[in-house]
Amino acid sequence: MSRSYDRALTVFSPDGHLFQVEYALEAVRKGTCAVGVRGKSVAVLGVEKKSVLQLQDPRTVRKVVMLDDHVCLAFAGLTADGRVLIDKARVECQSHRLTVEDPVTIEYITRHIAGIQQKYTQSGGVRPFGISTLIIGFDPHDTRPRLYQTEPSGIYSAWKASTSCIANAIGRSSKTVREFLEKNYKEDMTREESIKLTVKSLLEVVQTGAKNIEISVMESYGKVTNLELSEIEAIVAEIEREKEADAERKRSRLAATAAGQAAMATRADAGQSSGQ
Amino acid sequence: MEYNGGSVIAMVGKDCVAIASDLRFGNQALGIASNFQRIFPVTDRTYVGLAGLGTDVTTLRERFRYRVNMYTIKEERDIEPQTFAHLVSSTLYEHRFGPYFVEPVIAGLENTSSGSKPFIAAADLIGCLNFAKDFVVAGTASSKLYGLAEGLWEPDLGPEDLFETISQTLLNGVDRDAFSGWGAVVHVITKDRVVTRTLKGRMD
Amino acid sequence: METSFALTGKGYVIIAADTTAARSIVKMKVDEDKIKELGTHLLMAYSGEPGDTVQFAEYVERNIRLYQIRNLYPLRPPAAASWIRRSLAQSLRSRNPYSVNLLLGGYDQAENKPNLYWIDYLGSVVEVPFAAHGYGSYFALSLLDRYHDPEAPLEEGLATLKRCLDEVAKRLVVSPSKYMVKVVDKDGVREVEI
Repeated sequence: MSRSYDRALTVFSPDGHLFQVEYALEAVRKGTCAVGVRGKSVAVLGVEKKSVLQLQDPRTVRKVVMLDDHVCLAFAGLTADGRVLIDKARVECQSHRLTVEDPVTIEYITRHIAGIQQKYTQSGGVRPFGISTLIIGFDPHDTRPRLYQTEPSGIYSAWKASTSCIANAIGRSSKTVREFLEKNYKEDMTREESIKLTVKSLLEVVQTGAKNIEISVMESYGKVTNLELSEIEAIVAEIEREKEADAERKRSRLAATAAGQAAMATRADAGQSSGQ
Repeated sequence: MEYNGGSVIAMVGKDCVAIASDLRFGNQALGIASNFQRIFPVTDRTYVGLAGLGTDVTTLRERFRYRVNMYTIKEERDIEPQTFAHLVSSTLYEHRFGPYFVEPVIAGLENTSSGSKPFIAAADLIGCLNFAKDFVVAGTASSKLYGLAEGLWEPDLGPEDLFETISQTLLNGVDRDAFSGWGAVVHVITKDRVVTRTLKGRMD
Repeated sequence: METSFALTGKGYVIIAADTTAARSIVKMKVDEDKIKELGTHLLMAYSGEPGDTVQFAEYVERNIRLYQIRNLYPLRPPAAASWIRRSLAQSLRSRNPYSVNLLLGGYDQAENKPNLYWIDYLGSVVEVPFAAHGYGSYFALSLLDRYHDPEAPLEEGLATLKRCLDEVAKRLVVSPSKYMVKVVDKDGVREVEI
């Protein structure tokens, strides 16, 4: 009897669910938010950074990492699981270069990562990875940016703009970011537009503002930049200004409507009284 | 042993020991470097010298460092020279049928109840230990070193006299050997310090 | 026959390797680059058994790159030499050892000094001011004993290298026709014409 506890095998429940995989997805949902946006010739990754403890070194807490010169990955979920998966992916990137003399394509490395994740849902003695990943990059000799997502189950898919974790299809505040992206995504966005959309969508769930946002931008094959805090602050300020202006417009329109209605009411009053 | 060349010698003195080696690293007859250290500290008062194939000198140095570090952590004390000698022996014998081509020489001061006692030992390439009371030699010039040491060494030499004796033995020994030479390094280990001197030698 | 040289100077390492790829007595190629750039400040010249050389060099290249991606900083030259040495020493006692001889030159950005390592297929490593592999070494090393100056500026270092190349061309029966020369210093690696 005790032997059945020895192996943490992912098995079906009678109604066809893999509970362990669903729990892994739950771990993803509890993680911090990650957003990926694909523009015309740029791919952007944004993550919510949990604020570190006062004495911790913030540089050692990373949510966006390089897999190779031309591939960036962001993840949401259990950081410890992420590290292991990232290491496997990095080794594969170099191994691929060594064996076929070509860098990996983004789809290839995504498929590889998803393959590993799938393997951990069907092998004995292991549990699934509690992470979803967003992978951006450029294929060799190509100018089109790529954006992929993987999940604990091993599903992978290409996206125009995507978000992992809290904001994903299922979950509480999930709808907020996904719907926001669906509403605001435009084809062929410029670098600035893409970054702004990323920040904007993150602000839907990140209350604390710029200091808890990390943005990585890939503009072409192998050209990656991480935005400085000041740059993110500037974008956040701009968004705030726009929101403010928007609210102001709304307020004035509301006031105008109210004033109009009031005027109509007084005129009607006047009409009535004069009629008598 | 003749592939890279090199020789090591160790001598016992009064409350002190000395270990010395040449600095040549060659490719058969061709000299490549005159700065090849083949003597390494094990603890504050124990040194090991490795004569033989260059790659195995480096590999064994790394292995000994690893095993000594593990010993120090587990036992929470420094390893004694005699214990280290047995560690060397067992490491080498593990490769009895595919040996490292190295002849180690160990020199150090043992901790005893009445203070410290000089200790030297040498081993062959499969770990057969030779505990000597006077001197031990190893390497391509070993035959010459035996002869010189036999003539120059005497019991109860003080640190300075021991330094002179081991230096003369080594320098004159390696001059008769084509595979050793190109400078030398001498460590004299006493109760409270280790004196390391680098000697110039003939560059031919 | 395959020949490679390297020497250090004031803040730089020069590495030169012939560019011929030969099989038996036939030259198959005369523009082969046998100096790999392992990083921004690390060069490795390789020679030995054809096949083994390229295979091993690429294996080293990818592992050094992997280290950099994993740790966000590159291996320093002494650490790289140590890793390569260990790989060769392990390979030596395997069923099918690599027979590759290397010259590893790098600029250590932490200590701001050049490093040069002579490495052979057995896994022997020595740090040296100048080094050579192949038949050329029998001519070049004695010249370098006489003319090498660790404090020489780059022009002087290249002139010393030229002496070696000329001597090999003059005295060695099977001397190579062309060399590739690369330099690594604080600004990184670059190829130079000689």
